[in-house]
Amino acid sequence: MFESLLNALPVALQFGSLISLFVGTLIGILIGALPGLNPVMAIALMLPLTYGFDPIIALGLVAGIYNGSMYGGAIPAILLNIPGTPAAIATTFDGYPMTRKGEGGLALKTACWSSAIGGIVSALALMTLAPMLAKVTLAFGPAEYFWVAVFGLVSIAVLVGKDVSKGMLSALLGVIIGLVGVDAISGEERFTFDSLYLSGGFELLIVLIGLYAVPPVLEMAERRNESYFNSDSFRAKPSGGSLGLLRRHWRTWSRSSLIGVAVGILPGAGGNLAALLSYNEAKRKAPDPETFGSGNPVGVAAAESGNSADNAAAMIPSLTLGIPGNLVAALVLGALMIHGLQPGPQLFTRAPDVVFGFMWQMLLTAMLLLLLGGMVATRLFAQVLRMPSALLVPTTLVLMAVGVYTVNGNVTDLYVMLAFGLTGYLLNRLGFPLAPVVLGVLLGPMAEQNFRLTMLIAQNDWTVLFTRPISLGIVALLAVVLLSQLWKTLRHRRQSQDQAA
Amino acid sequence: MTRKGSDKTMNYRDLFSGIAFLIIGVTTVWMGNDFFADAAYVPIGVGTLMGAFSLPLIWRGMKSVLTTRAMTDSTTGHNMTTHPAPALVDHPARFTTTLGCCLVYYTALPIVGFYTTSALFITLLAVLLGERRPAVIAGITVGFITLLYALFAVVLKRPLPVEFFLAS
Repeated sequence: MFESLLNALPVALQFGSLISLFVGTLIGILIGALPGLNPVMAIALMLPLTYGFDPIIALGLVAGIYNGSMYGGAIPAILLNIPGTPAAIATTFDGYPMTRKGEGGLALKTACWSSAIGGIVSALALMTLAPMLAKVTLAFGPAEYFWVAVFGLVSIAVLVGKDVSKGMLSALLGVIIGLVGVDAISGEERFTFDSLYLSGGFELLIVLIGLYAVPPVLEMAERRNESYFNSDSFRAKPSGGSLGLLRRHWRTWSRSSLIGVAVGILPGAGGNLAALLSYNEAKRKAPDPETFGSGNPVGVAAAESGNSADNAAAMIPSLTLGIPGNLVAALVLGALMIHGLQPGPQLFTRAPDVVFGFMWQMLLTAMLLLLLGGMVATRLFAQVLRMPSALLVPTTLVLMAVGVYTVNGNVTDLYVMLAFGLTGYLLNRLGFPLAPVVLGVLLGPMAEQNFRLTMLIAQNDWTVLFTRPISLGIVALLAVVLLSQLWKTLRHRRQSQDQAA
Repeated sequence: MTRKGSDKTMNYRDLFSGIAFLIIGVTTVWMGNDFFADAAYVPIGVGTLMGAFSLPLIWRGMKSVLTTRAMTDSTTGHNMTTHPAPALVDHPARFTTTLGCCLVYYTALPIVGFYTTSALFITLLAVLLGERRPAVIAGITVGFITLLYALFAVVLKRPLPVEFFLAS
């Protein structure tokens, strides 16, 4: 495996790949800097544009946007107290007070270095852990894959959001959306209503853009026309040297990066959780915890290294099992499928250059942050916040339209995207999490195919699902997730009753 | 909107969304019954589960709505309009304007052509959403359309709806 890893380095260092990393990181920082826009949306928009490209170039863009946006989210968090991405919430705690003290420059520099270090540690974890896990998963059969898909779906439905029923309903809705079209095994048309368009099923990318890119734009359109930035927000004092930062924060970076990696591997746990856990841990270990929240750079370092360390680690279950740890990981799976590559352990032997090249790209983009996220560039990126929302809305909608249209050259896709957008908007407002819907679309067909294959092999003897040791292990894990959630709900209910009493 | 009013609305929403999911679940099972043998397993299973998970939502919603109704009846004497429900959409005018413009844009796209329709769409929607600086609108529209042209027509060579004045 390590030979394949080394062989993929020249692939990742190709001119086209480097350009895509550079452009992707720049786009990522810009998108992250704009509150309301998020990396999922940016990647979903970029994917159709990469159809004609080599997979490694498409993945380079994804890697760049992903890592870039994590740092980009810190720019408005620090300058304006508005988290550019949900993962940057913890960055506002100390980042904005630093800006108010005239230390915005130092806060941005700390955030940039912390994001880069977190990203590097995460990429190294991906490089070492994913190949090992891939070897283990070679022993998986259809029954195990069925349970893995169910585990991914149920754990995310249960862990994301506050309400288990709503999470499960979202996931099941996603599975139903994934069922639309001609059944791959029997050739039967399901839920097509005799429509030729529906017989092909819904294009994953159109569902993703609709569910994830349209609702934030509609929400932005509802706000009064405003730009977020004014020149007073950016008062950057010259900051200390990079060596000083390294000396001051290496402990925080190490601890937060490990937390981020651990959180990243868990399905359903996002960068915001990694950042908050890292922040709390840094505060707990600090000799001056009372200064946290009033402009302590350690708080910024912990939050930013924590949320960036989540990035590549979330790819570990995606690349090895085909189970995305978060939404960007789901999009990476989509990108691989678009380019004809099936995620899973076989990917490591069938397309080693692509999978290991992508790991190198995650590492390289984390390093690129240091180059692109410097003071001058950060000043430039902060100018993006000047763009009024009244212009940002139509330009983003045009970008979506062109992205969706180029998938099949069919205008109907645009209406379908809008319909999914409205569904996503409505679900959001009703408190239903969207992540399980997307995972339902992705994992539903995987679960179904493997279930039916298992039944076919075992001649409809369903006990085979519970008799193989690995399957049993996954079922046990599933039971742990469900029971822990049940325990959490009961404890929460008891606390509420106590408070009410 | 008071906390109580907001909760009440959320409970109504939970109730209605629960009923909607129950209908989707039942329809899925009903349609799934017509599918051939093993192609029916998952639709029936998923529909049944959806119906089952919608029940707690309906139950909770109904219970809370009834509790709130009883409390409101006892305190304010059948006054159920004390707290107006918060809109599902924050700003309906802006929301519908954006949606309407999108629908017109998608309809006009294959007839008028991609670049012309997109330029008009950006200009019109920006004005309708409150941007009043002609130079800013024109500058961003021209810059953005030029960028799209360079990317899609020159670099990627992707076929997009042809402009009406170029169509032969």
